[in-house]
Amino acid sequence: MQKKINLDISEVQPREQRLGTIIAWDGDIKELHRQSNFSGRAAGCGSGDGCRLCELQGPFSQGSVCSEQMVECQAGNVRDAVLIQHSPIGCGAGQVPYNSIYRNGLSMRGHKVENIRIINTNLTEEDMVFGASDKLRSAIDAAWLRYKPKAIFIATSCATGIIGEDIESIAREKQEELGVPVIPMACEGFRSKHWSTGFDATQHGILRQIVRKNPHKQEDLVNVINLWGSDVFTPMLANLNLKVNYVIDLASVDDLARMSEAAATVGFCYTLSSYLATALEQHFGVPEVKAPMPYGFSGTDAWLRELARVTHREELAEKYIASEHSRVRPRIKKLKEKLRGVKGYVATGSAYSHGLIQVLRELNVEVNGSLVFHHDPVYDSGDDREDSLGHLLKNYGNVENFHVSNRQQYQLYAFSQKVHPDFMLIRHNGLAPLASRLGIPAAPLGDEHIAIGYQGIINLGETILDILARKKFHNSIKTHVKLPYTDWWLKQKDAYILAR
Amino acid sequence: METCKNTKFTSINQVRYGCALGAFHSVSAIPGAMPIAHCGPGCVDKQYMSLSFYNGFQGGGYSGGAVIPSSNLQENDVVFGGAKRLQELIEASLKILKADLFVVLNGCIGELVGDDTGAVVDSFQKQGIPIVNAETGGFKGNNFIGHEIVVKAIIEQFVDKYAQPHEQKQKGLINVWSELPFQNTFWRGDLAELKRVLEGAGFAVNILFGNTANGVEEWKSIPKAQFNLVVSPWLGLSIAQYLEEKYDQPYLHIPVLPIGADQTADFLHKVVDFAGIDKQKVDQFIVAEEKKYYYYLEHFTDFYAEYWWGLPSSYAVVGDSAYNLAINKFLVKQLGLIPAIQIITDNPPEKYRQAIIEEYKNLDTDVSTDVTFLEDGYEINTILEKVNYGHRPPIIFGTTWERDTSKKLGGSIVEVGFPASYEVVLDRTYIGYRGALSLLEKIFTTVISKSA
Repeated sequence: MQKKINLDISEVQPREQRLGTIIAWDGDIKELHRQSNFSGRAAGCGSGDGCRLCELQGPFSQGSVCSEQMVECQAGNVRDAVLIQHSPIGCGAGQVPYNSIYRNGLSMRGHKVENIRIINTNLTEEDMVFGASDKLRSAIDAAWLRYKPKAIFIATSCATGIIGEDIESIAREKQEELGVPVIPMACEGFRSKHWSTGFDATQHGILRQIVRKNPHKQEDLVNVINLWGSDVFTPMLANLNLKVNYVIDLASVDDLARMSEAAATVGFCYTLSSYLATALEQHFGVPEVKAPMPYGFSGTDAWLRELARVTHREELAEKYIASEHSRVRPRIKKLKEKLRGVKGYVATGSAYSHGLIQVLRELNVEVNGSLVFHHDPVYDSGDDREDSLGHLLKNYGNVENFHVSNRQQYQLYAFSQKVHPDFMLIRHNGLAPLASRLGIPAAPLGDEHIAIGYQGIINLGETILDILARKKFHNSIKTHVKLPYTDWWLKQKDAYILAR
Repeated sequence: METCKNTKFTSINQVRYGCALGAFHSVSAIPGAMPIAHCGPGCVDKQYMSLSFYNGFQGGGYSGGAVIPSSNLQENDVVFGGAKRLQELIEASLKILKADLFVVLNGCIGELVGDDTGAVVDSFQKQGIPIVNAETGGFKGNNFIGHEIVVKAIIEQFVDKYAQPHEQKQKGLINVWSELPFQNTFWRGDLAELKRVLEGAGFAVNILFGNTANGVEEWKSIPKAQFNLVVSPWLGLSIAQYLEEKYDQPYLHIPVLPIGADQTADFLHKVVDFAGIDKQKVDQFIVAEEKKYYYYLEHFTDFYAEYWWGLPSSYAVVGDSAYNLAINKFLVKQLGLIPAIQIITDNPPEKYRQAIIEEYKNLDTDVSTDVTFLEDGYEINTILEKVNYGHRPPIIFGTTWERDTSKKLGGSIVEVGFPASYEVVLDRTYIGYRGALSLLEKIFTTVISKSA
């Protein structure tokens, strides 16, 4: 059995320790699925080679992403909370992108648009020598005086990790003084090789200090773990007489507290939702909907049926599924004709890519290459109904060129030369600029909900048609810019050559 | 209002600059130069996404953004040191990336755990590889400070070694030190305009950064220049002083970036007088430029003089000292607008602040105003909300952080500095002759487009 999530410790356990996460791997889905050994690993596969998943490690890397950024994009996006970054000012630069994303997210969901509330303690050389606990106290006071927040989050940084700031005891002291949760989150960039640990750090803190104990259950409330995406779940779940509780981004602290009252928890991406959903089930008795993710017909059907089973709404679900199928089929048929023979490539977070490939294949798009930023061989629940890679393999077949590459632009070049895609689906910045210089248009998928459910198949198909038209722009760029990579590198067929 | 305010909180809400490591942007701004960052996994992304993406969407280009090699330091490197990791990263970078100059920037982790990046880089320098080491730990200061550290490192470890002969200075050749690349949203267009007007006045110009610069070759000619020209209230002064000592080059400091015909003519005359070059060329240039400039202003007059619904007069500028001062001068001297409150946000070193204050006391013969130094966005916006702007809401020249306040006041927001997340900027300039016209277009399009 998978070990139970431990909420007694203050620091979240990094993903690589919990799940065996890797950030560099080369092969195909079939082999990755075999090596991941989802069920065996969940069962604890003992010692020896049972759980061995070989990871490549090379000398070259380009700037990636850190856990603290994921804390900013979650804890920093809770509407009536404040996030404090206990760090030098450089970490504070993240306030700028996340402010823009937060503002646009608020607008998209119909909330009042306003600036993000993140305060940086602005540590200097002196603080590195003498410590900065008073600066942290003062920042907490500032947060309280200015915003009267319902909760205060504190993000650690590489610098405070190294100088050994005792953030936990200050948080405890301030929580007592102010009477609102003051939540420390261990998210030093160097602490985990993959930034998705930052999701877990935020969720860990919320589970420990915000989620209501002894809740009144609401049989029609469903937690939806997401980011800033447009509101596709409310209308969808309304067909099952269910209400949506969006967490964590753009939620209020009370929305977070009432997660324990829900009848179920769902996600759109196990990379993001694994920790929170599993802990809500294990510690608060809120069932996690364990099913393939809601992408494509088969994924969405199975996801809705499982949600319906858990919330006892089977009949409503069948009715909805049938009516949606007949609604979207004609349009999808037309899209399939238009997209026949088009080659796509997916470069996103791990589980998200599994879902998107499913939708692409439903649309007749050829996908024989994908890169994911990391790979979790198993998720926290250990339940193999969540084996998203296995679901993809079983229902949609192999993807021959499958790479784990932690947002490494230099590798994308070799990957793309192997499969020559007509377009790419890319989430997170940094890769699309190279694709563009190679004449390949990319859809950025800032709205992560775009491909979800039955309507998502249509949305994605139409998005692809839009970006294919932009190929004109990218082709013109291709002929006029020089790449920064050496001829030697551009000749390499193996993107991992320096790691072998 | 008191100047240099000592606020109760030292924390910063709504950042208005990056950290010293963010000065890798100054490396990316030199055509052909490539930064190598020795830091945590998120540092490069954070600085890039803020300073060059959500700031006018300037983009990373050849050697910025996700191209930049980074050691992405892990727990092991913190415990055992990361020097070896840097060594292998540099070796691999030389194989994979093409550049004329590499600049290693050390971040918080490397500096705190004591990685001797200098020794690592030195071993590559000894092999004749053009590579430089800069100690830019984020806790050392902001990207302005980082910029000066990086520039001095390049001069000391690269330019000095490969410099063109410079016993004889080249009369009329100037090194220009002005805006901070990428931090200033409009730096590319601005530096191009600065170069254009200086060339028009008869100079040869080492603009050093941006697409009108000639890469590392231009840097090698720094010691040959007749003098250094610092066009900003304080940034670059310490570089000019360093070069004065090192290469016996004098420098001219002009605190005000010129915007508009009067300012630009005044600026060019000062530079020509200092250089002692022939005045005929500058005079001809100014006449030709003014003819074009006033053609447009003449037509703009119809709008400015009789736009039916009137136009706001009161304004506030929130931003880096360079733009803050320059825009103030232009708004007062060219347009006759009325300064309400001015806030400088780039944290100029104490020793320069008095001189900056004096500039605001002399915006024009008949106009003087106060200026406040503040970096915390919450306080800035609280102050902005309390100011009396008179009968009509103000124009706020600021950043994305001022959008909410501007809305609350019913005013207009013109995003002129970092972060400008709701502006797309390519070669737009707000300085010189051309930039003044763009600025007028931007201001009044913003003002009237919100009127109905």
